[in-house]
Amino acid sequence: MSDGPILLVEDNPDDVMFTLRAFEKNHIKNEIVVASNGEEALQRLLPDDGTPPLRPALVLLDVNLPKVNGLEVLRRIRHDDRTCTLPVVVLTTSNEERDIVESYRLGANSYVRKPVVFGEFLNAANLLGMYWLLVNEPMPPRRGA
Amino acid sequence: MGTEVGAETTDGPAGRPALRPVGHEQLMALLDHTSAVIYMRDVDGRYLLINREYERLFNVRREDIRGLTDHDLFPADIADAFRANDLRAFARGVPVQMEEQTRGDDGERTYITVKFPLVDEDGRPYAVCGISTDITERKRAEEQVHQLNAELEQRVRERTAELEASTRELDAFAYSVSHDLRAPLRSLEGFSQVLLEDYAEVLDEQGQQYLGRIQANAARMAQMIDDLLDLSRATRTELSRRPTDLSALAREVIAELSARDPDRTVDVSIADGLVAQADPHLVRLVLQNLLGNAWKFTANRTDAVIRLAVEARDGVDVFTVADNGAGFDMRYAHKLFDPFQRLHSTAEYEGTGIGLAIVQRIIVRHGGQITADSRPGDGATFRFSLVPAPTDWEIR
Repeated sequence: MSDGPILLVEDNPDDVMFTLRAFEKNHIKNEIVVASNGEEALQRLLPDDGTPPLRPALVLLDVNLPKVNGLEVLRRIRHDDRTCTLPVVVLTTSNEERDIVESYRLGANSYVRKPVVFGEFLNAANLLGMYWLLVNEPMPPRRGA
Repeated sequence: MGTEVGAETTDGPAGRPALRPVGHEQLMALLDHTSAVIYMRDVDGRYLLINREYERLFNVRREDIRGLTDHDLFPADIADAFRANDLRAFARGVPVQMEEQTRGDDGERTYITVKFPLVDEDGRPYAVCGISTDITERKRAEEQVHQLNAELEQRVRERTAELEASTRELDAFAYSVSHDLRAPLRSLEGFSQVLLEDYAEVLDEQGQQYLGRIQANAARMAQMIDDLLDLSRATRTELSRRPTDLSALAREVIAELSARDPDRTVDVSIADGLVAQADPHLVRLVLQNLLGNAWKFTANRTDAVIRLAVEARDGVDVFTVADNGAGFDMRYAHKLFDPFQRLHSTAEYEGTGIGLAIVQRIIVRHGGQITADSRPGDGATFRFSLVPAPTDWEIR
């Protein structure tokens, strides 16, 4: 069981609330750190001001973000030795082919479209939590970094 | 030139009269009755002989032209060009062909000219002969064709650029729709759910029902947005034609429909070997929608029948999807292919009414046609083609 934090990169406060609620309803107890834009997410993962970097068990990444967009965040995560092995799930509204293709090309571990119906979203969050925090064997610490 | 040109003077075969010598007069008569311009000039460019067409064309008499050069008759640039071509024929020693221009009353005239030198016993050239044929009309026609082609190409380039621009715009629009328009719906749906879960005790049954309706409509609108995106995708996706097996695609689609609806018994018949040069991905969408509709609208029949076949009409393959389901009133047939037009209530048959609009776009993009034929309660038949048809041809 990965008990590290989950980094939720999401600019829409409603979606933040729904995601927190879904994890809570699914009894996922991991700490959830929210970054409300791409720049903030990168600052957390790859700080340049001496603050200790966040090493989340899972990154949930929206695509349409202010400042630095989600795909660019993903590109930089994969480009840096310190973060290139992080599990990143793209969690977004769009099912446009180019977003899906580009996400996988940049090294996303998974691509999930946020369902409109909350019940379905709850289910998706549960599956994501189950798989990435429970089923999946994470990268051993201090190896990939 | 007064030299007599000899012809054979011996008796001709089989008792034909002997040929008489051909003299200068006869040869001149021959030259005077051709539509070509014929002339002879000496090594210095002085005229020795011209034919009648030359006289007519340049309004000069043969007795006046002897001893003159082209520089006495034509503007310097044209005379220079003629002289250069004469010299070329002298230098080459063999017939040479070239295009020459003069200026007439109606603008520039173009000739195709053959020039060849005449040589004396010592092999020295002493004159040049020229035969020029007026090709101005052909030349003008060619230029016109050339210009029309250039204009047409330019127009095609402009139209292509316009089309590409509008496709890009549509693409940008669809992209923004797919990102931005669904988010507020998630909030509507999600907060209704939060209210139902967290505030159930302060909401009476009616209040809870209303929230349910908000949720149902949010979900429906989300479905409509997805359908619109599908519709725009059917327009935006690049068309790539390949040999496509419609029979195989149809069997896959039917298998999916029965898997989703295992209790239904439908008599499905799909003709073997239905092939077309078409985009397999888009044709699959066509079959999904047409067969899906047939499946849906036969739901109330225990003896449901769905058929897919092909008929050749005037050399065009016309594919037919027929069912014996609910059908529709032909009075509304013109609305059938419009987005979000439904001929049945949502309560009777689910759906947003986008399927046939997608089908039609795909068919049109293939250059094909689609028609529908039906009577209420008596099933529906859709006919479509996937290749451009001859002019004025219509699926009947």
